[in-house]
Amino acid sequence: MPRTIEDLDLVGHTCMVPVSDEHAWEATAAYISRGLTRGEQVVYFEDATADRLLERLADDRVPVDSAISGGQFLIVPTEATRAVTTGPLDGVEPAMTHVIGESREQGWPGVRIIGEAARGRIPQGLNSLVAYEQVCDEVLRDNPTARLLCLYDRRRFDEGALDALRSVHGSELTGPPAYDDGLLRVTRPAPSMLRLAGEIDHSNRSVLRGMLDGALEDTLRSVDVPVDVTLDLASLRFLDVAGAVEVIRGAQQFPGTQRVLLRGPRSRVQRALQRCGAGAVEQLVVEPSTPAAGSGR
Amino acid sequence: MSAGPAPRTAERMRHAVGFHDSMADLMSQLAPLVRDCLLRGETVALSLAPPTLSALHDRLGDELGGERCARDAITVLAHPDGPQGSCGQSLAVRRTRELEALTADGPVTVIGEHDSHFDGPDGRFWTDLDAAIHVAMAHLPIRMVCFYPRYPLHGVVLDGARRLHPLLWEGGDLHPNPGHRPVREMLAEIPAPAPALLGAPHHAMDLGAEQLVDVRTLVERVLRERECPAERLDDAVLAINEVATNAVEHGRGPARLELWAEPQGCVAEVHDRGDLDDPLRGLVAPEPGQARGWGLWVARQACDYLRVWLDEAGTHVRIHVTV
Repeated sequence: MPRTIEDLDLVGHTCMVPVSDEHAWEATAAYISRGLTRGEQVVYFEDATADRLLERLADDRVPVDSAISGGQFLIVPTEATRAVTTGPLDGVEPAMTHVIGESREQGWPGVRIIGEAARGRIPQGLNSLVAYEQVCDEVLRDNPTARLLCLYDRRRFDEGALDALRSVHGSELTGPPAYDDGLLRVTRPAPSMLRLAGEIDHSNRSVLRGMLDGALEDTLRSVDVPVDVTLDLASLRFLDVAGAVEVIRGAQQFPGTQRVLLRGPRSRVQRALQRCGAGAVEQLVVEPSTPAAGSGR
Repeated sequence: MSAGPAPRTAERMRHAVGFHDSMADLMSQLAPLVRDCLLRGETVALSLAPPTLSALHDRLGDELGGERCARDAITVLAHPDGPQGSCGQSLAVRRTRELEALTADGPVTVIGEHDSHFDGPDGRFWTDLDAAIHVAMAHLPIRMVCFYPRYPLHGVVLDGARRLHPLLWEGGDLHPNPGHRPVREMLAEIPAPAPALLGAPHHAMDLGAEQLVDVRTLVERVLRERECPAERLDDAVLAINEVATNAVEHGRGPARLELWAEPQGCVAEVHDRGDLDDPLRGLVAPEPGQARGWGLWVARQACDYLRVWLDEAGTHVRIHVTV
């Protein structure tokens, strides 16, 4: 079994089994963001997924424009990705070696590879996929500055298949504890911050109430200077009316000296909040999304 | 007797009905009412049939001569085209928004008139409209006089008009209406009308908490295919999700969504077996910070057409979204 890690910087050839789509995008964006920050090259093999990735990177306020124009962040188009993943297995080693070698020749200190490259092998069966990952593993062992993160959708593989795939990766990436029901994912990036990704509706609204109550309790018990509570809503795609009312009523419970900061809500979420009277609540402050994050949504 | 000034301290609607025998009779009541308001510098909002409006303008032109400034204080509330104009509840929501803006500077006299073009199959459009107005505009500083013919085609028009208005306009003044009945008692007798049936829906699904995301995905896909502007799309998804949520949360028995994809938008209906006692729910804005009562209010505000009706099968809501 591979060792289990939480730190993305330790990744060599690593697999991950996200619990939801939001979890997968969260990990993908974090992996890419970290690589760009460290000055490494990032190569993303897309399969009609580039828009969704760029949307999440915008949510996370990861500046990518200069990285793309400067060649640090490469997005391999869908057709090229499919050509690699559906081609013969003996073409994988040269293709990977070429990507890593080219990156090294261009002077990048390391290269991170991620994307949908493995998806094309799924129809060929588990054995083909495991063999593919074995080849990748061998290439990466020979190239320690290269990293590859492979994400496997729990809905597509049973536990036996996942174990077989884990056996050909050096490590497995796990995330910190989070609430995730497949529709809504909530993480706590900082002590006074909650990050909400996905959708809030009647099916999971009680979670929101619990979180707000918890944040209020933490605040009231705080013996230090009170800090504002931040709800990062950049990746929240829908908030129903009762959810918006929960946010508003939750904020009203906070002392007048404190603020509940709503960070980067999308226009649809902001509209729901406004229609429920958020503008009249002194404790609520909306921090608009950045121009990059706001585009196209 | 003079109409008397609308008191500046008036904070709530005074809702009256007036009856007429003919256009001449109507004009003999209407013209002095409007003229007196204008001469006092009050704002007047008119929701009248085009021939009545034209006759009134001619009459006021004769009576007021060059007083164009006074006539500028008249606002005409046009009857909207399309589905919104055929739904009393939706029209009341629209009129309320218009009058909230008009009354920002002070009380307004509003004058409406029955127009048989909108009777629908049985005249209940007017009962639905008057009942919805009575609830939705209760907070507005307006004096509203609704004129009806003494002998309309549908008896229900007269029954509703006589009972839904707390005041009578007679002899140029307001009087208590002895025939007035509470609005919800009236609706138990004359229920809000069902809309015209549509054909087989293009999409249908049973509703539970887990299906709400599918409802949103469907609405979004249909409206995006019709190049719906972003804000209207956001509102439509919010409104239809709210109505579906209400059915899941409060309805009894299985709830169901039906959706018709139309060239210019979509129509969604949500049906459940609940027995909602009040089809006029969601017409009054909740208090800021109020815990409940927001869903249908927001849904009504977020779309041009939302009709609730009840029958022996349960509670039904139809929403039209026009791109």
